Amino acid sequence: MEKLNTPPPVRRISPDKKSKPAKPSSTTAASKRNGKVSVKTGRSRPKVESIERMRTVDLGIAYGGKSAVNGVSLQIKKGEVLALIGPSGCGKTTYLRSLNLLVEQTPTATRTGKIMLDGEDVDKLELTELRRKVGMVFQQPNPFPMSIFDNIAYGIRERGSRKPTRRVLKPFVEEALDRANLLEEVKDNLSHPALRLSGGQQQRLCIARSLAVEPEVLLLDEPCSALDPRSTAAIEDLVLKLRSEIAIVIVTHNMQQAQRVADRVAFMYLGDLVEEGTVTQVFDKPQQKRTRDYVSGDFG
Amino acid sequence: MGITLRKGVFSRLPSLKGVASTPDQRAELMLGALAVGSLVLIGFMIAFVMGEAWPSFANNGFFKWFGWGGNTDQQLEGIFNSPGDPASYVYEIRTFPLLYGTILITGGAVIIATVLSVLSAVFIVEFAPEALRRALEPIVKLLAAVPSVIYGLIGVLVIVPFFDQVFITEGAKESVQYVIQLTGSNITVAVFILTIMIAPIMIAIVVNALNSVPDSWSQGAIALGVNRWRAMWTVVVRAARPAIVAAAVLATARALGEAIMLSMVSGSVSFSPNPLDGLIFFLEPARPYAPAIVENSEGLTIPPFGQTIYAFAAVLLFSAGMLSFAGWFIRQKLRKYTLTPT
Repeated sequence: MEKLNTPPPVRRISPDKKSKPAKPSSTTAASKRNGKVSVKTGRSRPKVESIERMRTVDLGIAYGGKSAVNGVSLQIKKGEVLALIGPSGCGKTTYLRSLNLLVEQTPTATRTGKIMLDGEDVDKLELTELRRKVGMVFQQPNPFPMSIFDNIAYGIRERGSRKPTRRVLKPFVEEALDRANLLEEVKDNLSHPALRLSGGQQQRLCIARSLAVEPEVLLLDEPCSALDPRSTAAIEDLVLKLRSEIAIVIVTHNMQQAQRVADRVAFMYLGDLVEEGTVTQVFDKPQQKRTRDYVSGDFG
Repeated sequence: MGITLRKGVFSRLPSLKGVASTPDQRAELMLGALAVGSLVLIGFMIAFVMGEAWPSFANNGFFKWFGWGGNTDQQLEGIFNSPGDPASYVYEIRTFPLLYGTILITGGAVIIATVLSVLSAVFIVEFAPEALRRALEPIVKLLAAVPSVIYGLIGVLVIVPFFDQVFITEGAKESVQYVIQLTGSNITVAVFILTIMIAPIMIAIVVNALNSVPDSWSQGAIALGVNRWRAMWTVVVRAARPAIVAAAVLATARALGEAIMLSMVSGSVSFSPNPLDGLIFFLEPARPYAPAIVENSEGLTIPPFGQTIYAFAAVLLFSAGMLSFAGWFIRQKLRKYTLTPT
């Protein structure tokens, strides 16, 4: 792979890749499933060493004085997927958007508490630097109105003042698409408009676009809510494949999805973190009444 | 079905029965007729102007008509004074100074206005404080509606004298005194006022376009670690390029057809400003086609003169048509990636 003229992306995934048992197992699980989703068992999930990437300490977010998130402390680790569940308006999306400080785009938003990335307060980081390290994928797929190639290359091109050529970028683009399980489907059409892809492909393209800038943490804000079951399964496979490489936080309305993809689950209600634990703890032996009511479908 | 009008003109037209028996069908027919009618009217107008202009082009030769040689103003006078006998009509004219003046003034104004309007629109949409934005948007729309003659008045009463007194020195006058007289009416004033005239409508169009670009695109860029300014340029403005082209086409059409204001401030001399004159180039007058038409309208009844003026109009008509087509073509190209799956 050629050298980039710009600060080269940190390439720390290649060693991971060799020792990655997740990929074959998750794909076979997907093919075995044949579109039918077995809820409880999910896909085989190899144990990966988990390393803390992010941590929030007593994080509170308020919009114009009205509190949306109250004192939430959570750890986000590489090697395990954290799912945020809870009814609409419980602050889980606000919490997610605060992790890359996207919430501070809103002029009325105020923040209390601390957000740490790799042991360092995010306020000490350059905003753009933080957002490159903490990628985000939105509820609605939002590919840019450009070609597939340019969508993926966008983040790499924008990080330096000198723009690398297409030839230099190509391996990076293909690798990002490959990591997002999309390369096979689009490798012959890289110059096609990204908006012509199907919804599920668009969402995987958005994930690939985030992966192209080599994030340490990936935030997924209800990534499947606009997708059909097949595309949802593809995204879930992808999440399970990526969990050994980067820390993933996923917000979801869908409790089956949380059980399928998550290692830890945090239940939020009216801005409070009610309960947090492993999937079994939260779904099978919830400690709090509100959690029990929610996961058993009494409200939500 | 089966509803008939008891009163009104349609109930008395038996031929419409069957063809247009429902209100919807009647409305369709009416609107269709209006649309076809206006198209036919435009077609006739184009044919008429071209037909009237034909002798002027034919007698000079098409390329020579646009070429240079002689003094265009004197040639116009020659045509005006041509003998009454149709066999000895004078047609000779070389309109290069008019063509050059049109391109120079229109092109200059459109280029400056495009840059200006994109920058202002980006500021209004993305960076202006809420209160300022709320004030600016209606002001811009108001400015877009100001009649051009008002700009012309301000130009001729304020800016032209200002140029005359401040920029046009004796030295500048002397350096070109055998070629042209500098009065303060010049291409810079013309381009300046024309820019001010066309920029508001462009700003209004581009602001609308930027506002209609989905927020999720700039959010996506910002989430990738791109700052707001870059996200605006690389995603939002990029996505709004078809509208920017549309705005530029509209502004060019307006600038091409602007006659009164330019006639007041551009100097009204068929002169080709010479870039070799250095800075004085910017103080030299010019005369685009549209003001040339207005200024010579008193001689339209003299056949060869009228035909010459029609030829000016034909050039404007043709350029406007070409402009629309080019704009459409560029927009198609730019829309390639914006199209959602069909």
